[in-house]
Amino acid sequence: MTMTPTTSDAIVKLDGVVKKFGDFVAVERADFEIGRGEFLAIMGSSGCGKTTTLRMLAGLEDPTEGDIWLDGERVNGKATWDRDTPMVWQSLALFPFLTVRENVEFSLKMRSVGKAERAERVHKWLDRMQIVEFADRNISQLSGGQRQRVALARALVTEPEILLLDEPLSALDAHLKVRMQAVLSNLQKDLGITFVYVTHSMSEAFSMADRVVIMSRGKIEQIGTPQEIYHAPRNRFVAEFLGSANIFTGRIVERAGENWMVETDYGRFAVPASKAAEKTVGDSVSFIVSAENMQLGPESADIPGISARVVGEEFVGATAMVFLETESGEELKVQKGHAELAAIDHRAGASLVVHWDSEACHVLPAE
Amino acid sequence: MLSLPLLIWQLAFFLFPLLFLVALSFWTVRNFQMQPDLDFGNWERILTRRAFWDAYLLTALLATASAVLTSLIAFPAAYAISFKVSDRVKQWLIFVLIIPFFTSYLVRVYSLQVFLSDAGIINAFLGFFGLGPILMLNTLFGTLVGLVTLCLPLVVLLQTFSLNFVDRDLVEAAHNLRCGRLRTVLMVIVPSARVGLVIAALFAFILSFGDFVSPLYLGGGNPPTLSIMITDITKSGQQWPRAAVVALMMITTLLTVAFLAIQFAYKERGK
Repeated sequence: MTMTPTTSDAIVKLDGVVKKFGDFVAVERADFEIGRGEFLAIMGSSGCGKTTTLRMLAGLEDPTEGDIWLDGERVNGKATWDRDTPMVWQSLALFPFLTVRENVEFSLKMRSVGKAERAERVHKWLDRMQIVEFADRNISQLSGGQRQRVALARALVTEPEILLLDEPLSALDAHLKVRMQAVLSNLQKDLGITFVYVTHSMSEAFSMADRVVIMSRGKIEQIGTPQEIYHAPRNRFVAEFLGSANIFTGRIVERAGENWMVETDYGRFAVPASKAAEKTVGDSVSFIVSAENMQLGPESADIPGISARVVGEEFVGATAMVFLETESGEELKVQKGHAELAAIDHRAGASLVVHWDSEACHVLPAE
Repeated sequence: MLSLPLLIWQLAFFLFPLLFLVALSFWTVRNFQMQPDLDFGNWERILTRRAFWDAYLLTALLATASAVLTSLIAFPAAYAISFKVSDRVKQWLIFVLIIPFFTSYLVRVYSLQVFLSDAGIINAFLGFFGLGPILMLNTLFGTLVGLVTLCLPLVVLLQTFSLNFVDRDLVEAAHNLRCGRLRTVLMVIVPSARVGLVIAALFAFILSFGDFVSPLYLGGGNPPTLSIMITDITKSGQQWPRAAVVALMMITTLLTVAFLAIQFAYKERGK
């Protein structure tokens, strides 16, 4: 099969990309496109292959198999200094022996841009990143947030079509992180260029990106908008990674009206048949119910549900996440508003029944 | 209180001998006997002698040439060890670099005579092609070969260690910003490792400036360097006070050079 890059609005295309380091498979297979002007986040825990994928786009690693297309050109084997793919490092990698101005000027010098034009373009970016006053300072004299801005200015001064970012905010404290997220989001919208953003943080990925790629152990688990991924995780890994879903697995035992009846370790539950149309009686099925769709009630309640004991509670802004343990020791999560919870005795050790509306079930398609 | 042993050590082995050397430089010698005195004649005698300043200039030039040459020869090796080989090979190469220290410098210099002399290995080889013999032993070239031999393993080691500390992200960032390999070495790696590279060169300068063996056994001892001059002075009529003057001039020079080099190494840029 010969693959040609699509002439559509994709600026990056990964086609069967595999990366091995000796016997270790860092990226098992990556097949996806990144649109022009898109903010794409690649998310996963450490060692999942997200940084390796980014480094292959930058030309710092070469794929073992498969092809990478950048702007319609196959770039396998093309050195990073011949590509237009500036990257912002996790360590920022600012040159400590150069001033702020010289750092930003660096890539213009490498392109033999004339002195006057260099000064003008550097000033424009220092101004845009609000660091003009630090132009002649040493990097060591800047705060974390200021360094971040220098790193962005240095990468963007050549006005590339694409910017690669490798966990650039991980060194900042929580407050600054949120502010820099806004800076990055606005910057990307204003410039209209493609951002590829690697992170292990769900909140960073989901709050900034148009689409998110979730990776684990070198494999892509799901690609989609934050909404799609949050409401319809494809498999158990993604559901667990998001952290706020309860996962149930069982076998379809019968059809009851519009529902499949699914026999699980906790009892028999109804799952709308429309959500698992390809399944039939006897099939195994996994479904999730997100924590905010769970209901809590006193144990005597005459509603089919799961009996569980409260083990703890965690504040999440206007809501609280209640953690419960079933008789078999499995954990369940229920997220509710504080007012609603106040009406229920949910002290640690209290026995309650957890239940949900069958419409709230989401069947994991890939399980 | 913890620093007391250190203080005693410094006093006993550095400051006291130095002060004694200063005092000694004002003593006088009568009938081959040294007498405590406060005589400025030794200083006047040495500092107004043309031969002293010729030797001073020669020694400084040789040490500078040795520091520069050794640094230049060492850098590609240190760069390769630090950046281009696997960790396992790196360990072995560093071990190999320590081996020269097992052999006495004097022995190494004598063996260099076998290479450099008129009937030596190099000239014999050149003779095959009808070339030479080229005069190498008892020349400044011979001295420099010896000094580079003396300094090279240490300088390669010091440079390797300082290159090992260069942040690899900086190298990749430079490449990513369109800086090619050679340019990255000059624009990023050398400035990043500046402190270590300057200190390695400083060690080469210090070792070469005070060296006695190479100038004598490979350079022929004529014209003399300051070390040779010191031995000459002490041998001729027990003139230890005058030798002390030369030694103090050498120590002052080394302290000044070391101070300037470290200032340069740690110089901060920007405001």
